[in-house]
Amino acid sequence: MDAADPEARPHKRRRFVEDSSPVVESIQRHSPPPPTSSLPDPTPPSPCPPTVTPIDLTSDGFNVSLLQAVVGDLPSSVLHTLESRSGGDVQRAINLYLDGSWDRPAPPAAAPRQPSIQRTFTPPQRRIESESNKTSTHTTTPPIPTLTSNPERRYVGSFGATGWATKSGRGLLRHSEKVGIERTRVREPPGKRKVAFLKKQDVIIRFTNARGEEVGRLENEYATWISTLVDQKICSFEGTCVYVPDRLRTNDTIDLRLTCYMLRSAFDARNIKSSTNGTTTLFEAQESQEERDLRLRQVALVKLFEAINLHPTRINEMADRHKRQGLLQAAESAENKEQKSKSKPTQPGSSPPSDEGEDGEELEQDQLDSLYKKAQSFDFNTPEMTPADTFALDLRKYQRQALHWMVGKEREETAEHRNESMHPLWEEYAWPMQDADNKPLPLVEDQHMFYVNPYSGDLSLDFPRQEQNCLGGILADEMGLGKTIEMLSLIHTHRNMPTREEGDMGMATLPRLPKSSDAVEPAPYTTLVVAPMSLLAQWASEAEKASKEGSLRTLVYYGSEKSANLQTLCCESNGANAPNVIITSYGVVLSEYTAMKGARGSQGGIFSLDYFRIILDEAHYIKNRNSKTAKACYELIAKHRWVLTGTPIVNRLEDLFSLVRFLKVEPWSNFSFWRTFITVPFESKDFLRALDVVQTVLEPLVLRRTKDMKTPDGQALVPLPPRTIEIEHIELSQDEQDVYDHIYMRAKSVFNANADAGTLLKSYTTIFAQILRLRQTCDHPVLTRYQDIVADEADAALASDLQKGLSDDMDLGSLIDRFTSEGEQDVDRFGAHVLQQIQDEQESECPICSEEPMIDQAVTGCWHSACKECLLNYINHQRDKGITPLCFNCRKPINARDLFEVVRHDHIPNDDDHIFSDTATPGLPSTQRPRVSLRRIGITGSAKMQALLTHLKALRRESPKTKSVVFSQFTSFLDLIEPALTRDQIPFLRFDGTMAQKARAAVLTEFASSSKPYVLLLSLRAGGVGLNLTCASRVFMMDPWWSFAVEAQAIDRVHRMGQESEVKVVRFVVRGSIEEKILRIQDRKKFM
Amino acid sequence: MALPKRIIKETERLMAEPVKGISAVPHEDNLRYFDVTIEGPEQSPYEGGVFKLELFLPDDYPMTPPKIRFLTKIYHPNIDRLGRICLDVLKGNWSPALQIRTILLSIQALLGAPNPDDPLANDVAQKWKEDQNAAIETARQWTREHAKP
Repeated sequence: MDAADPEARPHKRRRFVEDSSPVVESIQRHSPPPPTSSLPDPTPPSPCPPTVTPIDLTSDGFNVSLLQAVVGDLPSSVLHTLESRSGGDVQRAINLYLDGSWDRPAPPAAAPRQPSIQRTFTPPQRRIESESNKTSTHTTTPPIPTLTSNPERRYVGSFGATGWATKSGRGLLRHSEKVGIERTRVREPPGKRKVAFLKKQDVIIRFTNARGEEVGRLENEYATWISTLVDQKICSFEGTCVYVPDRLRTNDTIDLRLTCYMLRSAFDARNIKSSTNGTTTLFEAQESQEERDLRLRQVALVKLFEAINLHPTRINEMADRHKRQGLLQAAESAENKEQKSKSKPTQPGSSPPSDEGEDGEELEQDQLDSLYKKAQSFDFNTPEMTPADTFALDLRKYQRQALHWMVGKEREETAEHRNESMHPLWEEYAWPMQDADNKPLPLVEDQHMFYVNPYSGDLSLDFPRQEQNCLGGILADEMGLGKTIEMLSLIHTHRNMPTREEGDMGMATLPRLPKSSDAVEPAPYTTLVVAPMSLLAQWASEAEKASKEGSLRTLVYYGSEKSANLQTLCCESNGANAPNVIITSYGVVLSEYTAMKGARGSQGGIFSLDYFRIILDEAHYIKNRNSKTAKACYELIAKHRWVLTGTPIVNRLEDLFSLVRFLKVEPWSNFSFWRTFITVPFESKDFLRALDVVQTVLEPLVLRRTKDMKTPDGQALVPLPPRTIEIEHIELSQDEQDVYDHIYMRAKSVFNANADAGTLLKSYTTIFAQILRLRQTCDHPVLTRYQDIVADEADAALASDLQKGLSDDMDLGSLIDRFTSEGEQDVDRFGAHVLQQIQDEQESECPICSEEPMIDQAVTGCWHSACKECLLNYINHQRDKGITPLCFNCRKPINARDLFEVVRHDHIPNDDDHIFSDTATPGLPSTQRPRVSLRRIGITGSAKMQALLTHLKALRRESPKTKSVVFSQFTSFLDLIEPALTRDQIPFLRFDGTMAQKARAAVLTEFASSSKPYVLLLSLRAGGVGLNLTCASRVFMMDPWWSFAVEAQAIDRVHRMGQESEVKVVRFVVRGSIEEKILRIQDRKKFM
Repeated sequence: MALPKRIIKETERLMAEPVKGISAVPHEDNLRYFDVTIEGPEQSPYEGGVFKLELFLPDDYPMTPPKIRFLTKIYHPNIDRLGRICLDVLKGNWSPALQIRTILLSIQALLGAPNPDDPLANDVAQKWKEDQNAAIETARQWTREHAKP
C-alpha cells in the first residue's frame, strides 16, 4: 500500500472532497514519506493550506511530517535544531518552535496556524485513489474511468478517527500503514443474552495492521455508528494509520484515517426495508428489531456524512428546516426512552433529557391553535375561480378561492416541473469526483448522484421522485362555511365529460364491455362521497340544489338502493349514464370491505371501481387508523382524494396521520416516518419540533378558514347573523328536588362506601351510573325509572344494575310516584261556568304584571287568573317569606297543587292532525270562541319541561313562524317532551339515532320545507354533527354535555351558513345540581 | 333595569284617569318614585287639607308592596311622626293584585276612619281614646297649620 502510492503524495493536500476548512487542511501531517520519495517539492498553488515539503529527516522517534503539519514548512536546519533540542519529542519540538524558545528568530508566516491539540481531531487523508482503483476490481482504469454498472463499492469520502491500542510493542504499526477495519464477530452465539444487551455492547471495531494482527480498537464515539454501517452492509471501511507512537503501549491513542466506501448492497436493500407500515400495531408497542435497525442506520448515516463532510447537493426545503441534528435527537431520544429502565445509555451525551411522563400525547388547545395558524394564514388575495356553468348556486368569494385551490390541487399532475421534484425526505449527494488525493475517481455511467433519506436511513441510486399520489387534500373549513358546496362546485368544475374523448386517458377510445370480473374498473366520471349516514340525504339534496337541471346525476348508494351494480353503472363505456356522484355512508364502505374477500370486482360494489374522486365527509370518522372503517377507506381507489372535516385533529396528532394516510401523501402516509418525525419528538416534549413538522405536513394539504376570520376590510368571511346563548337556571320543584336529593345521598353513600373499601376504581361504572341518574333527574325524574334504555344511550346501560336497585327502593319509588301522580288526576270536576268565567278573563290583563292578555293564563283553586309565571312567582315569594300562600285576589290560601293552566285550543288553526282529546275539553256553547281546557300545572312534568314549554309558547306569540330545535342527550327525555308538545298543540318532529335513513331524510325535508312552526326534537348524538338546520332560529339545549364543544357543534347546526335571522340559544341548567358542576367542567375545558 | 310593564301601565292610568282628590306624579329621573298628594276626606278632621306623600316602588314590586309615607305633618293615630302609615295592605295583606291607585284610596279612607285600636303613634292613639273631640280638634288644627293647599 505504502509502496504503491508515493507518486500520489504531492497531491495529498487537496484530498478532501470539499475543502471546507483551512483548519482541516493545515493539519495534514501525514506519515513521513518513505525515503524513496524525495521528490521535487511540488507545492501546489492552493493558497490556503501550508505546503508540506516532504523532507526526509525521519529518524525513528521524530515525526517530521507531524511537526511540519503543525507549524508549517521549515528549513531542514531548523528541523534539526528542533529535533536535537526536543530530544526527539515532536510535541516538545512544536512547543519549542511555537514559543520561540528554540532560540532562532525564524517566524515563518504559517507558524501560529495550528495549535497542536487539534491534531487528534483532524482527519488526515490520502491514498484513496490507489485503493479505489485497486478495489474496484471489475473495472479497468482508464484515465477517467467510466463504469457502466455500479461497482461493488464506491468511494464516498474519508475522515479521521481515533482508536486506542490493545497491544504494546514496537513496530506494530507504522505511519501510512494500511489498516484493516474489522468488525468483531466474536459474540454471535444465539441466545446468550437478551438481544438488546448484546446489541448494545457489540459495537467494537478492531483494526489490524498490514500483517493482519489486531492492533487496537476504534474509540466508541466512532465505533457505535461505524459498527452499524458495517453490520448492515452499507459501507466498508479502510484505514490508514496517520499517527502512531513509535513505541506503542496499550491504550495509546492512534490516529487513523478511514476511507469509506458505499457498498452496492446498501442500495439494493432499500426496498425491502422501508415498508413497515403494515406491521405497526399499537403505538405503544415496543420497537421491533427492524425498526431498531432502521433507527441505528439512520443515526449512523447522518454521522457518517457529518464526518466525511459531505453535503447534499440538493435538499428539500423542509428537510433543511429540520436539521439533521434534530433528527438525530429524535432517534436518540427514542433510544433513551427505551433505555430508561435499563439506565445504560449508549449514545454519549447529546440527547435531550427525556424524563417525560407517558401521557404527552394529547394536544393542548394552544398547540392545536398554533398548528392551525399556519394552515389558516389564508391569503385573501388568492385567485378565484368561477364554477362551471352547470353549477347553480352563487359562491362567495372565499368559496371561489377554495375552488381555485382545489382545482389547482387536482391538476397538479399536469404541471411538468412537479414531476421533477425530489421526494421531500430525500437528499441528493454527488459521488465524489476525486478522491482525497485529487485523483479522479471512476465514474459510473448515469450515476453521478446518490440519494439518502436521512429519516429512514435508506439509500438509493435512483432519483426518488416525489410521487403524485395526493391529487387532493384536506378541506378543513370550519363548520358552516360551506364545505359541501365548495366540494360540489369542484365536482362540477373539474370533471371528465363522457362526450369528449379523453385523449390522454387512452382507454376512453376503447370502450369495453364491463365484465363483472375481479378487476377494478375505472370510473372516470364518478365522484364517490362517503359521509355519515345522517348526512346522506343532505348531500343528495344539496347536490340537487347546486346543480342545474340534469347536469349532475346523483345516486345514493345505501340500503335497498345498494342493489345496483356500481361497476356496470359507472364504467367508462356507460359514461353517458354513469352517476356523477355516488353518495354512501361509512357503514356501507365498512360492510362491503368486510364482505370483500380479495376480489374487488366480484360484487360490483364500491370497491370495484377506480373513481375519479373520493370525498370523505366528516373525515374524523376515520381518525383511528386502526379502526376497520379507516382501513376500509384506505382501500378505496381514486385519482383524487379529498377529506372534509372541521377538525383534522381531534385529540392527538395521530388523528391527522389517518387522514394523511388516506390521502396517500408520501411519505407521511408511512407510519414509521410519522412516528420518528412527529410522534417521538412530541412524546419527548419536543413540541415545537413536532408541531413544526406537522405544520409543514399540513401547509400544502390543508385549506382552512374559520368563521371568525376577517377579510382585509374587516368584514366577516361569512356574515352570519348574531347568536346569543343564554343559560336559564331552572329551579326544581320540591318533589323533583326530593328525588334528586335522594339519589344524591345514595350516590354519596355508595361513593363513600367504595372509597372506604378502596374499590373506588373498580366501581367507577357505578359512580358513572349514579351521575347519570342525577343528570336524568335534572331533566325529568321519571327518566331514572326507565327500564328500556334507548339504544344510543350507551352509557345508560351501565346503569342498569343499579337501576334495579333503585326501582326496588321504596323511598325513591314513592317520591317519584308522588311526582307523577299529581298530573294524572282529572280536572273534570270543574263546572262549565268556571270555564266560562275563565274564558272571559282570558283576554283581560294579568293582575300581577299587567300583561294583556295573560301569558299562559293560570287559575288558582279559587278561580282567579293570572299569568302562570306571575302566579308561581308570587306563591314562591310568599313561601320564601314563610307565609302560607294566599290568593292574590281573595286571599284564600292557595294549595300549590291546585293550580291549573288554561290550555287554549286556538294555536293551530285547521290542523286536524294535532287535535288531541286527552285533555278535558268541556263543550262550549259557542264554536267561535276558542275552546279552553284546564290542566293541572305539573302534568307537563319536570321544571325543565315547563320552562321549555313556556319558551315555546312565548315564541309562538312573538313570532308564530319561527321554528326551533330542541337537543337532549336522552332520547327518553325527548319521549317525554313529545306528549307535552302534543298537549299544547305544538307541532313537532323527531330525529334520533334509532330512525332509519329514509325516515330521517323525510323528517329533515319536512322540517325544512314546511311552513309550520315546527319544533324538532333531536338527540344530541344523532343530530350534533353535520346536519343543516338553518331554517330554525331557536335552539334549546335541555341538558349540558361534558364538553361544550359538543353542544357548540349542535348549536352550529342552526347557526351556520344559510342562517338569515338571529339565533337565540337557551341552555337549561338546574340550579344547584350536577348540571352546574358540568358547566364548570365545561369552562375548565374551554380554557385548556 | 327596565321598568316593568305593570308600572308603566299603572302610571299611564293614574295620569289618564285620575282619582278625585288624589294625584301621583312620577319623578322624571326615577319613574319608581312618585310625588303623591291626597286631599283630606270630607267630614273628617283632615277636610280641606292637602297632604303630601312620597311613594316608592321597590324592585320586586308588585310582589312586595310600595313604600309610602306622609311628608306633611299629620295628627293621626295610625300615622307616626315620621309619616309612616300603619295599614294592613301595606304590610301583610299586600297582594300583587293591588295597585298604587288602590293603595292611595285606602290611605284616603284611613284618614276618614282612624283606627286607634291598632295604633302606630301611641300618644296620638291614647289621646284619641281618652278625649276623641280634643284629638279631632288637634287634628284639624294640624291640618290647618301644615296641610295648606
